[in-house]
Amino acid sequence: MRILLVEDDVAQLEPLQTALSQAGHIVDGVEDGAIAKWVICQRDYDLLILDWMLPEISGLDLCRQYRQAGKTAPVLMLTAKDTTLDKVTGLDAGADDYLVKPTDVFELLARVRALGRRSPLWQGETLQIADLQLHLSTLIVERGQATVELSAREFQLLEYLMRHPHQVLSRDQIEQALWEWGSEPESNATTTLVRRLRQRLQVVGAADWIETVYGIGYRINPEASKKLHP
Amino acid sequence: MFNRSRRNLAHWFTLSMGSILVIFAGTLYYQETLQQLGVIDSLLYKKARIIAGNIQYKLYQGKKRAILKNVPLLGNNPPSPDSEIIYARWYDAEGKLKRFFGVPPQEQLSKTAEFQTIKTTYNSGSSTSKVIWLRQLTLPVQHQGKLIGYLQMAMPMTRAQESLNRFLLLLILTVLMALAATSLMGWFLGGLAMLPIRDSYEQLQRFTANASHELRAPLAAILSNAQVGLLAPGDQDAAKHLRLEKIVAVAKSMNTLIGNLLFLARRVGCLAPESLKQIDLSDLLKELIESQTTQTVAQHLNFNCDLLPQEIVVKADPELLYQAVMNLVSNACKYTPADGLVELRLFIDCHRAVIQVEDSGIGIPAADLPHIFERFYQVDKQRQSSVGGFGLGLAIAQQIVLAHGGNLSVKSKLGQGSMFQIELPL
Repeated sequence: MRILLVEDDVAQLEPLQTALSQAGHIVDGVEDGAIAKWVICQRDYDLLILDWMLPEISGLDLCRQYRQAGKTAPVLMLTAKDTTLDKVTGLDAGADDYLVKPTDVFELLARVRALGRRSPLWQGETLQIADLQLHLSTLIVERGQATVELSAREFQLLEYLMRHPHQVLSRDQIEQALWEWGSEPESNATTTLVRRLRQRLQVVGAADWIETVYGIGYRINPEASKKLHP
Repeated sequence: MFNRSRRNLAHWFTLSMGSILVIFAGTLYYQETLQQLGVIDSLLYKKARIIAGNIQYKLYQGKKRAILKNVPLLGNNPPSPDSEIIYARWYDAEGKLKRFFGVPPQEQLSKTAEFQTIKTTYNSGSSTSKVIWLRQLTLPVQHQGKLIGYLQMAMPMTRAQESLNRFLLLLILTVLMALAATSLMGWFLGGLAMLPIRDSYEQLQRFTANASHELRAPLAAILSNAQVGLLAPGDQDAAKHLRLEKIVAVAKSMNTLIGNLLFLARRVGCLAPESLKQIDLSDLLKELIESQTTQTVAQHLNFNCDLLPQEIVVKADPELLYQAVMNLVSNACKYTPADGLVELRLFIDCHRAVIQVEDSGIGIPAADLPHIFERFYQVDKQRQSSVGGFGLGLAIAQQIVLAHGGNLSVKSKLGQGSMFQIELPL
């Protein structure tokens, strides 16, 4: 999932961003309400995690404005405000879930998974193309009897490819989808990542499934291996 | 909450000021009545003295008699039209009627020497008759120290009554207006009195909200950093893992402490009426027992409950009350060794719902008993640290019970166990 995490305290933002990234999500971390507002307009997210008390625009206002703009992605309020009235206010402003700080990271990850399941793009815990299965919660690829565990980055690439089967995805599209807001991936970053993923997929005999379309980009295609090894 | 207190203040202010006003007006009316009566009495007495002064007492046909010939009203002279006297009667010394003017009287005088108020029906000449109040004076008349007879006279109190009625109407109107003004003033003063309370309440709310944020933010950072450390892939260092787990445990325990402290700070005084609901204590305790069973099994404790089968309905905040009982039960479980017994009872005693939590645990020394509901009070540091906790659970339970208008008490014997009892008004 592509997640926008808005938290003004870097000491909290950084570990949460790391935890969410390690769980296979692409996370844009923002420290300021005004910047978050601008970012929301520029990109679509699958989930927003908002702190309440933020500089410039509060998380509550952000949530309201996001809903008023007609956007439907789930919003999780993550805040130290813990009275019943606060929770009611937060949920009434359009949040789908409310967590009081300090949050157990494992609980946060479970909530994020739960909110992800509500997304219209949700296709179940496992993505499948031909006989290749990608387990979203464990980052494990399974084909027949063989399994292989992916790193978060490799998982994100494979998930993106599998969500767009048989579709040629340009390097730009992949960079936009996989790299966080504002980060500058190196020119060969996508190539390197594809190479790493292919190596991993070798274990399950699906390395050739990722097809290079010269001059354009990549696509996942189970038929590609048959072309190479008829 | 503040509007309710303000209304209460205004009510009590109006009630007390109103009572004072009514008593004051009543006294005024009573004094006025006495004064009016005094005026009539002195007038009546003066007229009676004049009439009595005209009575002659001399020998007539060989016997001394009272001669009434020249006496006004009773004699031959016609009464003056403005005399106001309804009737005048002359009785001899034995009380026998000798002569009268006006309304026909009784033959025999029944009472002697006094002023009397009499209610009578008066024929005003035409066919209509009306009820009027009369003031009657019976005056003993003496001649050279010897009683020669009684003069009885009466005059109407109509004029005084009219004046009194007017005065009463004025008083009622004034009191009503004063009451209205008082209630408005009470509402205004109530608002003024509420201002500092509202300020301090809002200040407390702001303080707890800020404290909550400022204390929890670093804790959140500690907890998430430690947990991300635990999540890190490929890190198999057991000692490092253990330390991170310890940091997580300490951060969570700090969070519980902060939560408890904020709870105590926020809920000072009585509960807002909107948070109170009619709840069945039996249902509440059954729910608690279900959640408690796993813990008691894990600790190898015997858990007994004795609840009345009937509904016991009290007005309470269910979440808070649940927490209060839960704190007592957890406390009992903490200090009861394996194979011990924890009992939960619910019954009614003297129009109060009683919840008892009894354990067969280690008990509390008599010297510590008066202090165990104090915040952060720990009976034995060593003992406390072995079971965890900060010494706030009982303080919280007591605060919750007191906020519900109830009472929390404890009985304990060292080595034999303790019994905590919550009493709640039905």
